[in-house]
Amino acid sequence: IISFQSCESHLDVVPDSAPTIDNAFTLRNEAEKYLFTCYSYLPKNGDVRFNIAMLAGDEIWKNDITLDDVSNFEIAKGNQRAGNPLVNVWDGNSYGAGPNNNFDIFDGIRHCNIFIEKMTDRNNARDLDELERTRWIGEVEFLKAYYHYYLLRMYGPIPIIDKNIPIEASTDEINVYRAPFDECVSYISDLLDQSAEKLPESIEDITNELGRITKPIALGIKAKLLTMAASPLFNGNPDYVGFVDSQGTALMNTTYDPQKWRKAADAALAAIQSAEASGNSLFYFEQNQFDLSETTLTKLSIRQAITERWNPEIVWSNPNSRTTNLQYYCMVPVSADYNHTLAQKILSPPLKMAKLFYTKNGVPINEDKTLNFTNETELRLATAEDSYNIEEGFQTARINFDREPRFYADLGFDGSTFYKRDSPSKSDENTWVIRAKYNDYAGSNAGVLYNVSGYYIKKLVDWRMTNSTGEPYRSYAWPEIRLADLYLLYAEALNEAEGPTANVLEYANRVRQRAGLEGIAESWTNFSVNPSKYTTKEGMREILHQERLIELAFEGQRFWDLRRWKKASEELNKDITGWNYLGVTQEEYYQIRTLELQKFVAPRDYLWPLSENTLLQNPNLVQNPGW
Amino acid sequence: SVKDNNGTPLLGVNVLEKGTTNGVAADFDGNYEIKVTDNEAILVFSFVGYQTKEIAVKNETTINAVLIEDLSELDEVVLVGFGKQKKESLVSSITSISPGELKAPTSNLTTMMAGRVAGMIAFQRSGEPGANNSDFFIRGLGSFGAGKRNPLILIDGIESSPTDMARLQPDDIESFSVLKDAAAASIYGARGANGVVLISTKSGKAGKVKFDFRVENRFSSNTDNFKIADNITYMKLANEATLTRDPLAPLPYSQNKIERTAAGANPLLYPNNNWIDQLIKDYTWNQAFNLSASGGAEKAQYYVAGTFNVDNGLLNVNGLNDFNNNIKLYNYSLRSNINLQLTPTTEGIVRLYGQFDDYTGPIGGGQRIFNSALYSNPVLFPNVYPESLSPFTTHPMFGGAETRPGSGVLAQNPYAEMVRGYQVYKNSTLQVQLELKQDLGFWTEGLSARAMGYIRRFSFFDVTRSYNPFYYSSRRNPENGEIILNVLNDGSEGSIGTTGTEFLDYNPGNKRLDSRIYLETAINYNRTFNDVHSVSGMLINLISSYQTGNAGSLQASLPSRNHGLSGRFTYGYDNRYLFEFNFGYNGSERFSAGKRYGYFPSIGFAYRISNEDYFQPLKNVVNDLKLRFTFGEIGNDEIGRQEDRFFYLSNVNLNDGTYGASFGEEFGFSRPGVSTSRYSNPNITWEKSKQTNIGLDVGLFKSLTISADYFKQHRFNILQERSDVGSTLGLQVTPSTNFGEVESKGFELSMDYNQQLSSSWWTSLRANMTYSTSEILEFAEIDYPNELSYLKRKGNSIAQGYGLIAERLFVDDEEVANSPTQFGDVRGGDIKYRDVNGDGAITDADRVPIGLPTTPELIYGFGGTIGYKDFDFSLFFQGSARSSFFIRPNLIQPFFINGSSESGLLKAIADDHWSESNRNVYAFWPRLSTQQEVNNNQPSTWWMRNGAFLRLKNIEFGYNAPKSIANKIGLENLRVYASAINVAVWSSFDLWDPEQGANGLGYPIQSVYNIGLTARL
Repeated sequence: IISFQSCESHLDVVPDSAPTIDNAFTLRNEAEKYLFTCYSYLPKNGDVRFNIAMLAGDEIWKNDITLDDVSNFEIAKGNQRAGNPLVNVWDGNSYGAGPNNNFDIFDGIRHCNIFIEKMTDRNNARDLDELERTRWIGEVEFLKAYYHYYLLRMYGPIPIIDKNIPIEASTDEINVYRAPFDECVSYISDLLDQSAEKLPESIEDITNELGRITKPIALGIKAKLLTMAASPLFNGNPDYVGFVDSQGTALMNTTYDPQKWRKAADAALAAIQSAEASGNSLFYFEQNQFDLSETTLTKLSIRQAITERWNPEIVWSNPNSRTTNLQYYCMVPVSADYNHTLAQKILSPPLKMAKLFYTKNGVPINEDKTLNFTNETELRLATAEDSYNIEEGFQTARINFDREPRFYADLGFDGSTFYKRDSPSKSDENTWVIRAKYNDYAGSNAGVLYNVSGYYIKKLVDWRMTNSTGEPYRSYAWPEIRLADLYLLYAEALNEAEGPTANVLEYANRVRQRAGLEGIAESWTNFSVNPSKYTTKEGMREILHQERLIELAFEGQRFWDLRRWKKASEELNKDITGWNYLGVTQEEYYQIRTLELQKFVAPRDYLWPLSENTLLQNPNLVQNPGW
Repeated sequence: SVKDNNGTPLLGVNVLEKGTTNGVAADFDGNYEIKVTDNEAILVFSFVGYQTKEIAVKNETTINAVLIEDLSELDEVVLVGFGKQKKESLVSSITSISPGELKAPTSNLTTMMAGRVAGMIAFQRSGEPGANNSDFFIRGLGSFGAGKRNPLILIDGIESSPTDMARLQPDDIESFSVLKDAAAASIYGARGANGVVLISTKSGKAGKVKFDFRVENRFSSNTDNFKIADNITYMKLANEATLTRDPLAPLPYSQNKIERTAAGANPLLYPNNNWIDQLIKDYTWNQAFNLSASGGAEKAQYYVAGTFNVDNGLLNVNGLNDFNNNIKLYNYSLRSNINLQLTPTTEGIVRLYGQFDDYTGPIGGGQRIFNSALYSNPVLFPNVYPESLSPFTTHPMFGGAETRPGSGVLAQNPYAEMVRGYQVYKNSTLQVQLELKQDLGFWTEGLSARAMGYIRRFSFFDVTRSYNPFYYSSRRNPENGEIILNVLNDGSEGSIGTTGTEFLDYNPGNKRLDSRIYLETAINYNRTFNDVHSVSGMLINLISSYQTGNAGSLQASLPSRNHGLSGRFTYGYDNRYLFEFNFGYNGSERFSAGKRYGYFPSIGFAYRISNEDYFQPLKNVVNDLKLRFTFGEIGNDEIGRQEDRFFYLSNVNLNDGTYGASFGEEFGFSRPGVSTSRYSNPNITWEKSKQTNIGLDVGLFKSLTISADYFKQHRFNILQERSDVGSTLGLQVTPSTNFGEVESKGFELSMDYNQQLSSSWWTSLRANMTYSTSEILEFAEIDYPNELSYLKRKGNSIAQGYGLIAERLFVDDEEVANSPTQFGDVRGGDIKYRDVNGDGAITDADRVPIGLPTTPELIYGFGGTIGYKDFDFSLFFQGSARSSFFIRPNLIQPFFINGSSESGLLKAIADDHWSESNRNVYAFWPRLSTQQEVNNNQPSTWWMRNGAFLRLKNIEFGYNAPKSIANKIGLENLRVYASAINVAVWSSFDLWDPEQGANGLGYPIQSVYNIGLTARL
């Protein structure tokens, strides 16, 4: 019998150099991979399947057949539930984003904590210089803050995971509590400040590093965080009286604090100053060899501010969320030569989005004293005057006439033009037009790839799009923060803090100017039935809200803005309508078709439900109100 | 001649003229010659271990006798762990069955175990050649862990897979034992917790060479396949399904198409396919050949056997291609067992075994073809257009169409899918084994030593070859009425789907290689003192190492190793009191250094009451009575997921592309990320099992034996994911601990009855049953509050199903509106569930344990043989009870388009579904839909069915030719027989074969009718 000792070693089969987590921090090269791992949990907001806000609200509708696995859309249809929540970011087991398309955001936070802990130890990655080490830690601090912010926006109060709990911890240690909302805000805000100090002003190595986190990004997210915290949903919301956890801690403040708006305004201004100092400015499309009209140039400025890669207006765009698919879903066939796979046009803005845009005079359609839009199904013939927006001689809905440039830049519709670089006329005259009735080339007689509202999103499609089998779309990194967004945030916060002062008008008007509109004062004074609206804080608030909804339409902002303003219960209880996409003739087509009787239950639907299972697993957590 | 009831000649049978001393012994081939005094004489045949038989001579000159085994004789020797024991001295619970019991017209031995092996729970889910192994568990499922749950299989001491066992020929089996309790299995320590199957193969005997030959020709057909509705109904109901959910939706089929199809218009324009008929044949033929040669001299004996089986599939392949892609599984093996007497005290045994499978079949296997018959639209296109329509086309013109107009996706043509190519796989198992036995009686009486080692190599590869079919659509030329074909995927502008090719392409598949090396050394001591004290002892040391060449990761590529020291000590007093102690002391490389070794002891007692003096008066009635008791502990190191080789180490991927990111102006700077698939946990150790067995053996009237066992097993340290680790901890994988506990218990009963009824008639009957239930004692799960206690798995069976309670279908939309909210968009005619917790919403929290366990708790079998002179007839029934299974509605959802497939309509749905005009709230199928209805697809009592069935498993009618006839054609003996398996089944379920359970859309279990012949030369 073989001696027992030698048999002990018979069982030692693992060589000493089998990889462990410590190997990830021995060299700069390996640590960089861990840094990128922390980045990999950023939600893919440039994908309509993963950007919660795109299909879960009232901004974009679609048919039930294509993208039928998108749970966001189920939320829009009122099917959210606590049993197995849709888009369950908390548990990371829903169709989401990040690695494997799960929203495992708490995993991301754990990775960030590991990275910060390991990299703070100078014995790790000794070949990394101090400057770079500090910057990397700053980036990961930002990501950690951002992941907390992302959860906060959905769930309200969340547990703060500042330090990792050990794996072998007891149940009591694992069962965390949700921290009160204001505590979460100040934690995230402090962390963002901390990271901003370590971050570069801008990216120097653009070939390899564009898209990495910079100081203006950190300050921009801080501005968004503080504006959200100052907004009615979270600032003294009486609906949350009695929202306490099992220890009796109140999780929400229920008294309004005006100082929060001041902080938000300061943060927004700081972000703007930092961004402008780093070279950010509003995007204006430059005249080119095609000798484009002013109308077209304005529309291209509006569209390309989003779709032009790395344009100066972009404060932060995420290169790990690119937009080829998004453009496929938005694009509409502009001639009979397009096949429906190339231009799928399934993303359908409801009629309410079309009505949202101002008139050509820069005021809402129900306020313009010179124009009447009350008859919704009225039709009108386009003249030469309309020809940069609507094909001359084409009859389409009255509502599609006399609108501001952003309407024509953002939306396509039956009879609208669609200027792209490959315009067959080589100019913006006699360019591509859309035909949208049932049997037309952009119509819904197209198998499963059809539009249900009669409106198409031009805004998110780069103007270089071509009808080719190679690469028809030039993808761009999804813009998370544009300078226009910060301007409008600042104007909004400042108005709340000090009323409609000159600075409020100044920053909002910068955005309007790029959109080809007069300033707020001029427009309202000259065209509104309520000419002095902008002179009061409340009137200005309404103006700025609508300005923001228009400027940031289809960028996944409306969903969150309506919530923080506590306007979702009003807006998301309206019917979703569109033109009758099954209509073959003009008469049939220009009927209003109701797509959904949308329901929003307040205050329940303002915050996400925690899954019943998670509440059972950790009894220290409490459910959000109404669920 | 004299034979046993298997037709084997018996050597040395005593033949005596009754009432005289005139007697002879039968020779090596069972032949005898005796001169008797007159025609009135009666011959008495007697032989140890067989019942004595008397036959009157009358005027016959040739008298052939068939002797039946006498079960009252208990000298039978049984395989036990690392050795053999006399059955009469067994203490532990071991089922030993005669190899003849396992003979049936199937080339898969595992399908013969249900109902025949007391203590084994077995069921077969598929009939596809090469994929038709039964699942089997000893005494039911003992654990709910992710690791190994089926028994350790040792063939001649070689650790083997269920497939190795499936390929074994009953002809080559010498003995077959199943070790069921701790006393029998603890000697296998770390590997024995799920029971052990021990099989030994035959070895040669000294004497002249003998050839045994068996040939079978088998007719095989489906027991019961699913049935689909006719295509007119299909189209009408597809329209109904569309309208009933959305009255405005465009109809998939026009009235014109339906009417023309019904009128039998040209099927090239109005296709009307029955895919099952087009893809599946009604029957196929299979062949099996088995040949062995054995013999030898005093110093060397050999047993050499070869097997050749051909199993064909049921696919309807015509000569469209010049390759045949029906399933064809050739299976051949060669076995050579050689015993050498090296010295007077040393024996060497060399065993060589090669086993080879050669498979050809459709790409993706037969199951996929059966599935595609249901998952393809039958009215979109014909299977293939006749060549005459386009004589110059050099490839088959398969029918094709888009799934929906404009979808850009070609609908699946299952016929094209079936014939477009073929898959070949080949696997080989080679085993070389050497065993040495040394009698050490010259040192001390009863002492011996033994060593055995083997190397086993397995290899597998598969290759597919296929072309991309060209698909065509057709229309009628309005001018001359001719059919015009239009190619859909030639790669030109507007071509959809993969472009067709006329040539075959090649795709290498998996290649798997593994190797096992094993060595055991043992010393044995066996002696009886003073005639009453019998003592034995055995110590064994074993080491094994296993490696695979396709591990996929560093950790998985490292060798799997076991090391163990085991022993057995027995003491018997006067054949009345028997005592046994076994232990295994085993190490596994999977655990951290301090936790590697486990000690697994067991004890057993038996009391043979029938050997007591005071019992002797009863012995004519109760010829044997024995009580047995054992208790012990066994381990299991094959726990958790297979990729979790080393629990004490973390498993990190430092180059995981999924976790990477890209930056830069052109997104050009990319780095992969880091992911963790296991966190280290040095505390993880063996899963353990404490087992108790109480048994009773009774022999009555020397013809009936009954064996009954009650067993109880307590399995603990079952590896489970921690339930209290919430998502907020941020772990990529949930850590596991040794937490779960299960108690399983049950009883098993087997009865054998062998009786000579008269000089010509004999019978042998047997019945057995196994009943096993389990209860989870500890389960890592949420600590549910009282009002939700029904969600707990603790307290339920391991295989308990959970689901909602379906009350009935909703009467109408109004009832839906006034009921608790359910799932998705619910309408009248959808399933209505019970709101168990009364919260006004149907959620996962309303799921309760429903039905019986999903693996059967009761398996039974009964049957027997009756013989008359040279004829015999056997029947065997097998049944299963106390189980539930769930129809999976998502798999049979009609009209559902998923990628290129569109599901067909089961006849059962067409015949019985809810509709606006027939609001039957108890219809089989809810309101029709063309989508997966999330509400109706919930696991619920609506889809639960009783899994109980009884089947006529086996019939055989045989004839053993008299020696005179056999000799004429140069044979020593000859048996011809007709047999069948899976002849009939009775159950309350009629959509498909109930034994397939939820797997009903797969390859059906086969009924086989066979004609066979065995001969000895």
